[in-house]
Amino acid sequence: MFKHIWKKEIRGELYTWKSMLWLVIASLLFSFTSYLLLTNKELSLLDQTELMLLLGQIAIGVALLIVAIDASSIITAEFEKETAESLFLSPLSIKDFIFGKFFASLTLWAAIFIVSLPYIVVASSGSGLTFAFIGYVALLGTLCIAGLIALIFGISLIYRSTKNTLTTSLVTLIILVTPALFSSTLKNNAPSQFFSKINPVDNVFASLDNVLVDYKTAILGNWKFLLPLIIFCLLTIGFLTFAAKRFKNREIIKND
Amino acid sequence: MKKIIIFILSAAIILFAGNLFAKSAPPALVLDISSSKTLSGTAGDFVTVQGTITNAGAKPLNNITTYLSLADNETKLPVDLEDWSAEKGLYIGTIDAGQTLPLNWKIHFVKAGTYSLIIIAEAAGDELPQVSGITQFQVSQKRNLNPGQVLPVALGTPIALIFILFLLSYRRRAEN
Repeated sequence: MFKHIWKKEIRGELYTWKSMLWLVIASLLFSFTSYLLLTNKELSLLDQTELMLLLGQIAIGVALLIVAIDASSIITAEFEKETAESLFLSPLSIKDFIFGKFFASLTLWAAIFIVSLPYIVVASSGSGLTFAFIGYVALLGTLCIAGLIALIFGISLIYRSTKNTLTTSLVTLIILVTPALFSSTLKNNAPSQFFSKINPVDNVFASLDNVLVDYKTAILGNWKFLLPLIIFCLLTIGFLTFAAKRFKNREIIKND
Repeated sequence: MKKIIIFILSAAIILFAGNLFAKSAPPALVLDISSSKTLSGTAGDFVTVQGTITNAGAKPLNNITTYLSLADNETKLPVDLEDWSAEKGLYIGTIDAGQTLPLNWKIHFVKAGTYSLIIIAEAAGDELPQVSGITQFQVSQKRNLNPGQVLPVALGTPIALIFILFLLSYRRRAEN
């Protein structure tokens, strides 16, 4: 049943070219970044891995922003447009409803990832890291974005207001992204080091750095970054489960 | 008067000869580079600079440290060895009299250009460090950042996307 919700959301996204314009804007951003970096005559071999890292960070960063905005409204819009009631009167469980929306939001990440692929291939040409780069952007991006979607969906079910969910989601995203952009010299005290270790965005960027700049491409060599991401996903899925149960227990949905 | 002149001249000759002897005394530490005096490659290549360090003196030398110094021939400025070599300095310790030890430095060519490398050795108690001969690096640029590939991708991807979006939109309208 969740496939029905998923397809409905994707069809909604593809309904007009305007609704997909963000994808063109994202590709223009990738074009601008990669062209500027690749045509720089001063770039050395070492700089290539760093520009790959920058491109990977931009691809995941753009995806985090777009998915956060989409996920903030994908559930709450059903309440604000008063379509939730009719949806839940149909033989649809809340699990299917959430799964359908979840995969629809994750599809946006897949779309951004597919658009970023030509840039990733061109940027990593000759470095011998193309497959590792593609694989790690896919893995790290999926883990981080899946966790973020679960968190935002949990917030959506508690707030049931697009404005409040969007504000909370964007503030949360800023809290996660800003420290990840700090240089290592700004992370030399215990609290910032601890936050850096648990921050999913920090772990994504650190793992990409580990793979692209330090050439540690093995999964085991990146386990210390992947584990916090998996824990983040599990915690946010737990939070989403709690929010869904709370939503159901308050008898907003009676037919589940 | 003659005696004074002869004394002054003798003293001057002795002093000059002493200085000459002191200057021409061979240093106890001798650095030799056995690898080629000119090493060429492309940015990203690794080369090995091989050499030897010999204690040519009669006594053992202690606390010997060797390190590299790299200068850019174009800018005439020293280069930060951060990414060029994992071992910027090498502590050797003691070298017995007459002993020769091998030196191997793995160098990563990072940036295109011409460079001069010397190995420097310092021993405890020596006033001046000893330097090796110069090894020249000729590093050519690696053309792996082929800008020719990026332009079609940078222009083509957004154009292809716009085309696909219009196509989807048109198909949707036709269905309706």
